[in-house]
Amino acid sequence: MRRVLLLSAVIVTALILQTTVFSEINLLGAKPELMYLLTICFAILEGPASGAITGFAGGMAQDFLLDAPKGITALTLTLLGYAVGTVRQFIVSPSPVTPVVLVAGGTFFGVLFYGVVSFLLGQLSTGWLYLLRVALLSAVYNAILTPLVYPLLRRAAEGSRSRRVAGW
Amino acid sequence: MAVRSRARSTRLLVVALVAVSLVTITIDYREGDDGPLASMGNAALTVISPLQEVVSKVTHPIGNFFSTLFRLPSIRHERDVLRERVDALETQLSETRSDQARLADLEALFGLRESLGPKVQTMAAQVIANGVSNFEWTIEIDKGSSDGMARDMPVIASSGLVGHVVQVGANSSRVQLIIDPDSFVAGRLDVSRQTGLLSGEGNQDLQMSLVESTAEVSPDERVVTAGYRIRDVAESLYPPNVLIGTVSRVLEQDAATEKFVTVRPAVDFSSLSLVLVVLSRDGGE
Repeated sequence: MRRVLLLSAVIVTALILQTTVFSEINLLGAKPELMYLLTICFAILEGPASGAITGFAGGMAQDFLLDAPKGITALTLTLLGYAVGTVRQFIVSPSPVTPVVLVAGGTFFGVLFYGVVSFLLGQLSTGWLYLLRVALLSAVYNAILTPLVYPLLRRAAEGSRSRRVAGW
Repeated sequence: MAVRSRARSTRLLVVALVAVSLVTITIDYREGDDGPLASMGNAALTVISPLQEVVSKVTHPIGNFFSTLFRLPSIRHERDVLRERVDALETQLSETRSDQARLADLEALFGLRESLGPKVQTMAAQVIANGVSNFEWTIEIDKGSSDGMARDMPVIASSGLVGHVVQVGANSSRVQLIIDPDSFVAGRLDVSRQTGLLSGEGNQDLQMSLVESTAEVSPDERVVTAGYRIRDVAESLYPPNVLIGTVSRVLEQDAATEKFVTVRPAVDFSSLSLVLVVLSRDGGE
């Protein structure tokens, strides 16, 4: 229950931050993708199942809140969380840079995937070059934010785990 | 075994979530903007938008700060451009102001020229310098012999009589003001029709002599230039009926045969900028 509350709080916070603060702080015209960052961090911390659930919940929340085609972000982030969580299991000796690299790569491919799905549904209104540019920039942006966000989330996740409440 | 089953359940979970996502996408795609999902989205937006507003109010300055930080070079450039513009516009503004003042002067001079009559030929001139010495009350104007200037030509401003030309250069001339101690002007009191001779007293008011003691002179009476001749004393250089000034003081002297009258000049000689030179006049009185 604690974890559900934690996850909800984190997702709502991220959503609000995404639509308020970070809609104004541009990096060469691109915004960070906080939900991607969140999903990847949880996937690294908690494994593929948690990653998938976080991605699904966060994606759905974002889809319903933003006036976007619904479900695409949820699909993207579910797969992203699962994929990153799985990849993380194969990394034998993690270094402090590992989350940054995973966040950067995950965000890049996640945004690209989102673009491809949008395109297949006929919802992609921008060109491919723009998509590539946004994917790259938001990857860089998320990577910059990782050293700030990742420790916070780790502490929160560990705090909620120490109570030994049953997992998902 | 446990690990494997856990991995399988994870995979199952992911498949289920993906399936839900796909169903959502499909429903949303088919229903469009009127479907239940869209209205759910609107409801969610209604709930969260007040929150967003609050946070936005708090964080807007912070966000502003950061975006300003990122845009600093372009802002700096913008500032430089704007400064240049301000300078240019200020210059333009002051030019416009002086142009306007000049226009007002010229209009006044034009009115003066009309009042002198059609036979009088005049030329406008710009005052370029004030007198150089404390004992000479002169100005310099930007017209000289090449413009047809000659000695003794009368000079008039829109407010009244200024003086006459005493020295002519090629492109500039010196004008002796009527307040110069060496200047004498034949004047006439406007109401009492008495004539007299006005002599300069420097920075003090003009002194009017040769006024008969029997004349009734009231303060603030206007004094204008007289015609050409005052008996055998002097012959006037100036065209008639140009305002010289107003009577400032009348001193009755019982024993004397003339009155002591001082006249305040109508022209403010410290702020002259445009004057009219009378080149020639046909005939006379």
